Amino acid sequence: MTKTLASFMLAAAIGSAQWLDFPTPGVPRLPNGKPDLTAAAPKTPDGKPDFSGIWTTKAGYTGNIARDLKPGEVSFTPWAAELYKHRQETQGKDDPQAYCVLSGVPREHVVPYPFKILNATSGRTNMIVILYEALHSYRQIYMDGRKLPKDPNPTWMGYSVGHWDGDTLVVDSSGFVDNNWLDNGGHPGTESMKLTERFRRRDYGHIDLQFTIEDPKAYTKPWTVNLEFTATPDTDLIEYVCDENEKDLKHLVGK
Amino acid sequence: MSMRPWLILGSLLMAVSSQAQWLNYPTAGIPRLPNGKPNLAAPAPRNRDGKPDLSGVWDVLHNRPCPPEGCQDMWIPQEFLDIGWSLKGGLPYLPWAAEAVKQRMAENRLSDPNWKCLPTGIVRMYTTPLYRKIVQTPGLLVILNEREAMYRQIFTDGRPLPEDPQPSWTGYSTGKWQGDTLVVESSGFRDGTWLDANGSPLTESGKITERLRRVNFGTLEIEISVDDPKAYTKPWTVKLTQLLKPDTDLLDYYCVENEKDRPHLVGK
Repeated sequence: MTKTLASFMLAAAIGSAQWLDFPTPGVPRLPNGKPDLTAAAPKTPDGKPDFSGIWTTKAGYTGNIARDLKPGEVSFTPWAAELYKHRQETQGKDDPQAYCVLSGVPREHVVPYPFKILNATSGRTNMIVILYEALHSYRQIYMDGRKLPKDPNPTWMGYSVGHWDGDTLVVDSSGFVDNNWLDNGGHPGTESMKLTERFRRRDYGHIDLQFTIEDPKAYTKPWTVNLEFTATPDTDLIEYVCDENEKDLKHLVGK
Repeated sequence: MSMRPWLILGSLLMAVSSQAQWLNYPTAGIPRLPNGKPNLAAPAPRNRDGKPDLSGVWDVLHNRPCPPEGCQDMWIPQEFLDIGWSLKGGLPYLPWAAEAVKQRMAENRLSDPNWKCLPTGIVRMYTTPLYRKIVQTPGLLVILNEREAMYRQIFTDGRPLPEDPQPSWTGYSTGKWQGDTLVVESSGFRDGTWLDANGSPLTESGKITERLRRVNFGTLEIEISVDDPKAYTKPWTVKLTQLLKPDTDLLDYYCVENEKDRPHLVGK
């Protein structure tokens, strides 16, 4: 089971050495010193919301990214329905993550590991970077006004460009691999997938994310998911190495 | 003849198909010659705070001659094989470390963590002939590597190194500017790290100091000092050169995906 796999991997982090507990600079704090997660969202020097920080997703979506959707909202094409059924029946034994291949987007939004958003829009590298603890991966979101490439090399993270809609960061992505898994349950994603994400930092402690999957090869109509990220200050990402001491793969037998 | 590491790396690179569009978006803010080509000899760029900006996509300096049949796709530098290549007399190994290197080479590097798709650590991140991108922001500099999507954080917000961090392949790094040089101190490494393909060891007691200086727009010099009394008789320092790769970007490179080599690595 992939859930078991994920929790097993977490256990690889031993607790004897010093934890990374350096206080995050610039965090608004309550009189007792705890972070004030309801304080106003910070801004970058150019007045845009600053999404920088370490974030953790709301629990419960790892197995089914579409769990809040009503029946019929995720409308598979016949091919994808068959594939999803197969992935369910075989208990995720072909999940790329079980082979230590990274989760990709949007699956990274529902795995139970923190990630760091880094605002690099003020320097020459005009982009936003997301560093993921899970399977040590990263994602680049170009903010320099470029267009999506027409036929990029397919990747797990895809190719992402962002722009501002008021205080909302809108990220358009395409160029994904054809054998994507959007969650542990195996919702398929294909090369035809277009992902639109709308990030809004509601206050210091929370990001509301709404994303829409448009993938005509796998779904007959677009579908939209709402998620919430919570700020996780005063800690940092730790190294996550999936393929070290990996013991699960041979036990994943499916049906 | 034994299997060579660069052949293995080369075969892994083949997983990147060449049919789709290459990433050739022109890098913004690059000084250009009248013919439109990047002027890599222009002065190093600076940030708003006046400090040099190390940001960019960087490649190794290809200082290893190609064989007569031509260069490999993965054209490794000398330091990929032997990080102490430029040092007279080589690295000052302690006896056990010298023995370990001898053994590892005799076994055709079969136990190299690299072959198991494990992280390579911060020194080999520089010598692996795949691209890396430096992203410099106030308080934090990040190095994004193509290989295995590994990233590395260098905190430049003034924090001290933790006293006893969780040992990791990447360690824990803090940096501060000395003039135009970014001096990076790192510790918290784990035993079993290889600094090169020959198997030069790094242990938990290792401390690494890097001095990064962008000498012009297209060139980054990195002086690496390794102080690891558990493996070496004295600290040693080597200098690496990295070259800017303009008008391109990082591509996915996943060692664990479609890995075909490991069953064929038999050693001796």
